[in-house]
Amino acid sequence: MSSVVEVSHLRKRFRLPLDKSTTLKYRVTHWRSSSRYRDLIALRDVSFDIPAGQFLGIAGPNGCGKSTLLKILCRIYEADSGYARVNGEFSAFLELGVGFNPELTARENIFLGGAVLGLTRAQLRDKIDEVFAFAELEDFAEQKLKNFSSGMQVRLAFSVAILAQTDLLVMDEVLAVGDASFQEKCFDTFSRYKREGKTIVLVSHDLGSLEEYCDRVLLLNHGEIIADGPAAEVTAAYHRMVAEHAVAAERDLPARLERGDPAQWGSRAVEFASVSLLDGNGQSSRRFETGGSMTLDMQLLVHRDVGDFVCGMAIRRADGLLLAGTNTFLDHVTVSSHSPGGMVTVRYTIDSLPLLAGGYLVQVSVHDASGLEIYDHADPAASFHINNMGGHVGMLEMQGRWQVGQHDDVPSSGAVRQTAG
Amino acid sequence: MTSVAQGSGTLEAIQRPRSVFQRNLNLVRELSITQFKLKYTGSALGYVWSLVKPLMLFGIMYLVFSVLLKAGVGDKNFPVQLLIAIVAWTFFTEATATAMNAVAGNGDLIRKAYFPRWILVVASTTSALLTFAINTILVLVVTYALGDLDITLRSLLVPLYYLELIVLVLGLSMLLSSLFVFFRDLGHIWEIVSLVLFYGSAVVFPYAIIRTHSIRLAELAGLNPVAQIIQDLRYSLVVSSQLNQSMATYIGALVVIPIILSVAVFVVGFLVFNKLTPKFAESL
Repeated sequence: MSSVVEVSHLRKRFRLPLDKSTTLKYRVTHWRSSSRYRDLIALRDVSFDIPAGQFLGIAGPNGCGKSTLLKILCRIYEADSGYARVNGEFSAFLELGVGFNPELTARENIFLGGAVLGLTRAQLRDKIDEVFAFAELEDFAEQKLKNFSSGMQVRLAFSVAILAQTDLLVMDEVLAVGDASFQEKCFDTFSRYKREGKTIVLVSHDLGSLEEYCDRVLLLNHGEIIADGPAAEVTAAYHRMVAEHAVAAERDLPARLERGDPAQWGSRAVEFASVSLLDGNGQSSRRFETGGSMTLDMQLLVHRDVGDFVCGMAIRRADGLLLAGTNTFLDHVTVSSHSPGGMVTVRYTIDSLPLLAGGYLVQVSVHDASGLEIYDHADPAASFHINNMGGHVGMLEMQGRWQVGQHDDVPSSGAVRQTAG
Repeated sequence: MTSVAQGSGTLEAIQRPRSVFQRNLNLVRELSITQFKLKYTGSALGYVWSLVKPLMLFGIMYLVFSVLLKAGVGDKNFPVQLLIAIVAWTFFTEATATAMNAVAGNGDLIRKAYFPRWILVVASTTSALLTFAINTILVLVVTYALGDLDITLRSLLVPLYYLELIVLVLGLSMLLSSLFVFFRDLGHIWEIVSLVLFYGSAVVFPYAIIRTHSIRLAELAGLNPVAQIIQDLRYSLVVSSQLNQSMATYIGALVVIPIILSVAVFVVGFLVFNKLTPKFAESL
């Protein structure tokens, strides 16, 4: 099978000037310091091939070089050394609506955006009704783009973006846009591409969608590929990497330094035998939905007659930020064991998960009733992911209510609208 | 899902035209039409402004130079010459001024889409050219109808002079648009250069006036392509007189220099633009 993309020993360095030196006055007055800049190595020796028909995901933390890699692939940046070759036609959605102008009508923008993709006016004219139907904007063809809601703009932009037939499709985080129903349409389109055997490169923070769509995922960190393989493996490696990062950040704590393995430590009088996450049907899962049910299932192996003890859990964001935590003591639940060698099952159920889209880590610990002796502590013990569904932004589902009242009889001012949460 | 969602649920992709030239031409067309449209949407008079502005300039310059300073006395056809010169000059100055921003002002496109970057400059020039073409046709038709033009064999060279002007403008546009990305003072510098060129090219008075003061100065001014193009346009379209001769008559064989200069500016502009193109996306 031939490769659609060949990337070989790609290197890219950015020179960031420390001072702004684009004016004549600066050049004249600072002519001696013309070499003041900071080097930022975005890619160091990146090589990979993409065979035809592969759906490749690229993951990595912010600043890992994934956007730079994509831009070199799309010939927007030039590599310092090495090469990135695309055999065939490609379309890049580095951002939706590139080339769009708010002062033009939707129809005019389709001609303009289509032209940027390489499509001619005549071709687009034949297609324009279909585009409006797909974008669900049939009644707005002659409206100026600036009067569109952001959701409408995204729908139009996505519909134009998928118009050009290509051998390779390059996408940068366009999945997290639009309302839920249109998002489904986007996903349908990607599924169709996958069925049709298109070669696709998708860069995303959303590990869930990478796992769902990609045959293979590259994990980039500090400009290098640190993992390359099946999606599930690489996303697991990513979770590990993020977790190690979070742990490394906490290593300053002197108490932590005295203990051996910072990820899991304790006297092991009681030990976690297994920690898993269950969905509403009691099935083990790593993908959950906002508002859905999640149960943390902990199997504890008891080695000593410890009597009453405390079992706790906490949820962290992928970058280590502590979001919530509790334990059996705080919630007045008694856990005890007097039989060495026995097993204790402890479950913590969240009926309606208040978290929005993102990757999360679960930390668990068991300790004695006084909190002085840590039996076992694992951070992270599990990870899970929530997909963006409802379009709410941020981290937390507020579960609030809107109320709107109209008071037409208020004297001196016409209609007063009130909102209360 | 439901049948409604499926009805509009798929959108088949279109095969791009095979010819890259056709795609690029199409993009130039779309971008220049857009630019042209945007320039005139929102204002009540729209396109009319692009005709009113040179006409106003003509009115003022006619009053100042022809009536008050008697610059064109001795040639009753000087007003027509002034009009032709002002329309050509307006194209030169507006095209170069907008081209300055053709790259720097399109950072979003450059950072997020791939297409040959020269398209931006060509589109910017084409958009200015559209206005220029309409104005030129209007002015030529009206002046011809009034009997102010002198169409003879030498008028056959007119398209060549316009071509020279376009080549010069394109070259300068490539040079200015690419340098402006890295060197923002260029905007101000170019304004000053434009002012020098405006008077140095004898746009608003007969070129011959410079000669009556200093032959050396006249030769120097005549070497600049704008002066040569404008003077030769006047000579090719309007009855010749003491004050209206071809540039070759004035500076002799030296006349090849401005023509070579126009081509040289184009070549240098092209080379500089190509050299700087890979750095655009990172610098914007």
